[in-house]
Amino acid sequence: MSGQQIEHLVSMANQIALNFGEKRNLTEAARKTGEHLEKFWTRAMREKLSIEAADSEVPLSPAVNLMLEQQRGQIGS
Amino acid sequence: MLQYYEPEKDYGTPPVQSSEMVSANIDGVFIEVPAGTSIMRAAALVGIKVPKLCATDSIDAFGSCRICLVEIEGRRGYPASCTTPVEEGMQVQTQTPKLAKIRNGVMELYISDHPLDCLTCPTNGDCELQDTAGEVGLREVRYGFEGENHLAAEKDESNPYFTFDPSKCIVCSRCVRACEETQGTFALTIEGRGFDSKVSAGGVDFLNSECVSCGACVDACPTATLTENSIIEHGKPEHTVLTTCAYCGVGCGFRAELKGEQVVRMTPWKEGKANEGHACVKGRFAFGYATHPDRITSPMIRDSIDEPWRKVSWDQAVNFAAQRFRKIQQEYGRNSIGAISSSRCTNEEVYLIQKLVRAGFGNNNVDTCARVCHSPTGFGLKTTLGESAGTQTFASVAKTDVAIVMGANPTEAHPVFASRLKRRLREGAKLIVIDPRKIELVSSPHIRADYHLPVNPGANVALLNALAHVIVTENLHDAEFIDQRCESEAFSEWQAFIADDSQSPESLEQATGVDPQALREAARLYASAPNGAIYYGLGVTEHSQGSTAVMGIANLAMLTGNLGREGVGVNPMRGQNNVQGSCDMGSFPHELPGYRHLSDAATRALFEAEWQVDLDPEPGMRIPNMFDAAVDGQFRGLYCQGEDVAQSDPNTHHIEAALGALDCLVVQDIFLNETAKFAHVFLPGASFLEKDGTFINAERRISSVRKVMSPLSGKADWEATMAFANALGCDMNYQHPSEIMDEIAKLTPTFHGVSYSLLDELGSIQWPCNELAPEGTPTMHVDEFVRGKGYFAVTEFVPTEERANKRFPLLLTTGRILSQYNVGAQTRRTENSTWHEEDLLEIHSHDAQERGINEGDWVGIQSRVGTTVLHAHISDRVKPGVIYTTFHHPVSGANVVTTDNSDWATNCPEYKVTAVQVSKVNEPSAWQARQQKFDRRQHQLLKQATEDA
Ligand code: SF4
Ligand code: SF4
Ligand code: SF4
Ligand code: FES
Repeated sequence: MSGQQIEHLVSMANQIALNFGEKRNLTEAARKTGEHLEKFWTRAMREKLSIEAADSEVPLSPAVNLMLEQQRGQIGS
Repeated sequence: MLQYYEPEKDYGTPPVQSSEMVSANIDGVFIEVPAGTSIMRAAALVGIKVPKLCATDSIDAFGSCRICLVEIEGRRGYPASCTTPVEEGMQVQTQTPKLAKIRNGVMELYISDHPLDCLTCPTNGDCELQDTAGEVGLREVRYGFEGENHLAAEKDESNPYFTFDPSKCIVCSRCVRACEETQGTFALTIEGRGFDSKVSAGGVDFLNSECVSCGACVDACPTATLTENSIIEHGKPEHTVLTTCAYCGVGCGFRAELKGEQVVRMTPWKEGKANEGHACVKGRFAFGYATHPDRITSPMIRDSIDEPWRKVSWDQAVNFAAQRFRKIQQEYGRNSIGAISSSRCTNEEVYLIQKLVRAGFGNNNVDTCARVCHSPTGFGLKTTLGESAGTQTFASVAKTDVAIVMGANPTEAHPVFASRLKRRLREGAKLIVIDPRKIELVSSPHIRADYHLPVNPGANVALLNALAHVIVTENLHDAEFIDQRCESEAFSEWQAFIADDSQSPESLEQATGVDPQALREAARLYASAPNGAIYYGLGVTEHSQGSTAVMGIANLAMLTGNLGREGVGVNPMRGQNNVQGSCDMGSFPHELPGYRHLSDAATRALFEAEWQVDLDPEPGMRIPNMFDAAVDGQFRGLYCQGEDVAQSDPNTHHIEAALGALDCLVVQDIFLNETAKFAHVFLPGASFLEKDGTFINAERRISSVRKVMSPLSGKADWEATMAFANALGCDMNYQHPSEIMDEIAKLTPTFHGVSYSLLDELGSIQWPCNELAPEGTPTMHVDEFVRGKGYFAVTEFVPTEERANKRFPLLLTTGRILSQYNVGAQTRRTENSTWHEEDLLEIHSHDAQERGINEGDWVGIQSRVGTTVLHAHISDRVKPGVIYTTFHHPVSGANVVTTDNSDWATNCPEYKVTAVQVSKVNEPSAWQARQQKFDRRQHQLLKQATEDA
């Protein structure tokens, strides 16, 4: 079922980004999406999204992609 | 607060609001009252009782019986005290020999056509006619009973809760006026004239009339003509206890009237500020479920759901559950268990559940059923206004000039509020209804919506944006309010967004399905109102953009300056009795009581010090996360208190798979509900009659729930949770729910001033109640918003993914009906089923014809996730392309077809939009057949329950 779950998480994250105005302001939407996940998602869900996103059959929306890249950048730096 | 039974004091005529005071003298007693007050009321206020029959203080005076006559110095004749207002300097006599004679004569006439069977009459000792005959000193009736009379008139026993015995009627018309003024249904009339005049329910019996069984006429009737069947059966109560209705979010105050521990009647409490003496069929009459034979009163356990239950002691049950939960955590980690609490339970109970999870389970996996109804309200109002709650009192509607009712159906779901609203509309206020369905308020006796905007399911945000677009582009907004009270940068950004032509009613017409001209006119009407108020319900929240729509509503209110005073505001109509309270009590996985996020170290520290534990600062799982994780094998133990997730949550197949995957499911409920059929531990719950506590209604009003009978299982729910916590090693030691409230008050700034003694003193309290507002806060955001400046959130319309297409061309939406409540566990076990035995599928004649469907046919409803079958009801309440059903019966399987799409911000399920196809079929669906088989099997396992020594 894990396979299904990552798709579900990606879809939810994409929806969040879309509702934070991804089409109007990508960086702002990425920031707000990150904050929202931090506030409302469990750590396990956030980690799963970050680790398994690449395997998702549902493509990441640009803002979610950006958010994850930024997070990895921060962890890396 | 046990009290001897006494009928509530009746002042004869309603109170009058006036800043001008007038004084007079009645029977030598000086009185001062607001101008406009009747002599009858003024007298009653100082303890002088004028005999009366046609007057009662819930309705306007009528002046027909002529028994309340008085003498006024300097005035000729004998004016009726109920219709004559006090004037400055008046000298009034209520008892003189002349008055006594007139009254005696009037009374004699009444009694000459009234049976003299007082001793065997059901209301003996509680009858105004009897009392008044006593007061006027009637000793003989000179006119014989042999003349023409009504003594043989036949009883109408069609209503399951009350009887109409016209032989006892004095044609005072109190019932007719109560139905009109208090309830607003206009079901009754006085038919005929003179001697032939009689009360009629529109020429048919009560059950087949327009009557909605609210009981207002029964309350108003001064004789035994309209009497509760419970009183006919059991007689007059002997004591009363004040409590609060446990059904809907109106939170009506009630007097539970008892004989010993048996409730013989529930009467709406006149001092109850939410309802002011009115009620609906649920709270007033549907309390019999509390003693229904289906109640389970013994704790039970079993190792697997294929085994019969074993009845055990409380200790055995909680120890069994605790051992299982600890074992699961040892094997699968701390986060593998969680709890779901119910908005039907008291604040004290849901507070304990979240405490048990955070302090006992050591995680934050706690959620409440508000997740599936009003979580978007919490998110949306917190973001824009700063507080997750409605802004007004219910009484505020009396000052509203234009009301918007959006995605709510108050006459069915919040009936007592609906009566208030209807009264205001009859006084001339305007109404805009935004709903895909033609709800009763769109057109009913003496009410007609000025605009009905039949929005397509799923397009609320587009519609709200279009309304705001009109207001902004036509310069109808309240620039001064926005300037002073709102964040200017956010407003500018929002203004640029909303003024864009893409947000106009014309551009969005395709999405909304609403005539742009009507939409423009409705926007102008709301914007131009001196006081505009918005009332909304689950038709707003239960969408993929539920939170966005709530923010859109808050934007509209800020835009027009309609916040911070009476008559205006943003008013979420909460579904269940304690939705507001369960949210306030920290039942969501990301926040502590008082809506404080777990990441806030200072707040955490407060609770850590009180509970002597370290708290996890990470948000826990929401209900859908728990189910996903259960299916995934990572979540294995669930404590479910009073919430029937198997019936109420979307995508039943998924929920059943999740529940079936759990190693230990603990269910606490009063009945073997659908969820309990998957349970390993059953903890018998207590109804609201069996415990003390508090509920918080949609106006943020904290009201007391008081125990009127002993818990059938021996424990109230808070005691059961405490026993479970202690078995888990999470020490709890409360002697009474008041101590739990003291802890809540200590730790929660908006509740700092709340205590049981203050509740007893004030009757009820609207939070915030603290040093700044010692008696509570009726209206919020008066001088500034809770968040400081109001925030205009950009509300971009994102169409739901659940769209109609060729395969699923219709949109299914859901709602409620007056007589049933939610999953129906309570109301289905009362006579309320007389009105609604099954859920039907409403379909427009056009869609029905196209599919060869006739009234009453079985129709299959198929969505992407499942199929169910209901009987069809052809109706023009829905428009072509939209179908509708209620969800009160488990076998209907409404949630077999709903999907797990949800609100982007809160995961509140998108119950209100499911793309489906319907077709004529011959029998129930495969799921329904399976469900019935499973149900039979589980009842068998219950019957086989063994008693452990
Ligand atoms: S019960 Fe209510 S609706 Fe029915 S007739 Fe009486 S007042 Fe009217
Ligand atoms: S039914 Fe009762 S309230 Fe109605 S007219 Fe007769 S006596 Fe009066
Ligand atoms: S169900 Fe609602 S409106 Fe009806 S009596 Fe109870 S609280 Fe009042
Ligand atoms: S009570 Fe005043 S006229 Fe009937």
